[in-house]
Amino acid sequence: MSETDAKIPSGASESVPVSIPEELKDTVTLTTLDKAIELLSSAVDPVANWARSNSVWPLTFGTSCCAIEMMCVGMSAFDISRFGSEVFRATPRQADLIITAGTITRKMAPALVTLYEQLPEPKYVIAMGACTVTGGMFNDSYSVVQGVDRLIPVDVYLPGCPPRPEGILDALLKLQQKIRTESLAERRKRAYRQRAVRYVDYDTGRPVEDLVAEARMETAEALAEATGYALDHQVRKV
Amino acid sequence: MSEGHEPEKAEAKDELKAGPFGQFLEEHGIPSRRLPDSCGVETIELDGKHLEAAMKRLRNSHEIALNFLVSVAGVDSPETYDSVYHLWSYSNLNELVVKVRVPKASVPEDRLPLVPSLAPFWPAANWHERETYDLVGIRYVGHPYLRRILNPWDWEGHPLRRDYKQLVDALNDKNQFSMR
Repeated sequence: MSETDAKIPSGASESVPVSIPEELKDTVTLTTLDKAIELLSSAVDPVANWARSNSVWPLTFGTSCCAIEMMCVGMSAFDISRFGSEVFRATPRQADLIITAGTITRKMAPALVTLYEQLPEPKYVIAMGACTVTGGMFNDSYSVVQGVDRLIPVDVYLPGCPPRPEGILDALLKLQQKIRTESLAERRKRAYRQRAVRYVDYDTGRPVEDLVAEARMETAEALAEATGYALDHQVRKV
Repeated sequence: MSEGHEPEKAEAKDELKAGPFGQFLEEHGIPSRRLPDSCGVETIELDGKHLEAAMKRLRNSHEIALNFLVSVAGVDSPETYDSVYHLWSYSNLNELVVKVRVPKASVPEDRLPLVPSLAPFWPAANWHERETYDLVGIRYVGHPYLRRILNPWDWEGHPLRRDYKQLVDALNDKNQFSMR
């Protein structure tokens, strides 16, 4: 209990959890705010998680044949609405879950990451089908991302080519189980650090972060050459 | 393209006799060379500079009427870059394969092979030629908008080339637990 609680930031303004070294853990005193949060979350979490797990609204996101099975599970024969997920939202702002139904190509990858970043927290991902789990039959393809977990964090892996609709229901039940058992602290610990704005260089079309990293690398190399001092580890950190 | 046992027979003969489409082009003063049939379909090789005239003849003639351009494809053969055109006639229900071959020896380093474009007078060729440019790297001279169509705009290289090497990055590297 104390392990997870120690990582809760003390103020609401701090978004990055403070990591406390192993040997200092006994000496850390929780503030009253932390205690209040803990108390509140232990009281609210069961109810909130129950509500969340029974209304997981998926995003309408299908890129190939898995999407047919995803549509099938939405229809009356399999009827995903029995588990509270019948509302396939057309906008990521109103969805909780991405079922990545289909092959993700390198051209689609930025769009998928953008969609994922647009989902409000808490957000979940089911990697559906062999293509999104490992690349599947597009093993070593030049254009296919070899597993969607290289782009976004995945909660449930659902193999199959494509999986049966019952498989999707099973994955959803597993996800619901996960939602029911998680606490506020756990959710914060694995929170995805996203950028609200992505600055892109107008001339080259590349993200500005890459350009900055490149410039830093060049500067470090020039410094290393000028001073004759090996900056190897520092360069790698940049 | 599988050609069965026919190429061996064809090589035994020095030059194949022109088929009906080859004869038609010859009547109109366009030289062509017959290649071994591909899947029982007449196949001819054209020089790049005769391509536009030949295609217009084949499309507009009333008795030939090859007025449906099925596909434009590219092949990276060991010795040549081929641009392959499949034509179909709905009135005669027959087919023709046209190839334009650019020898690799004639293409300078860091340049792409040049083939005249059909897109200005045959809009069906527009996207096919963009795709062939994207994947095989044949530059179609006279194409109105020759950009990559399937791969992202900043892609390096042409993936279906024999000498293409994929860069290893975070999206396709292999880990030690991989079964691949």
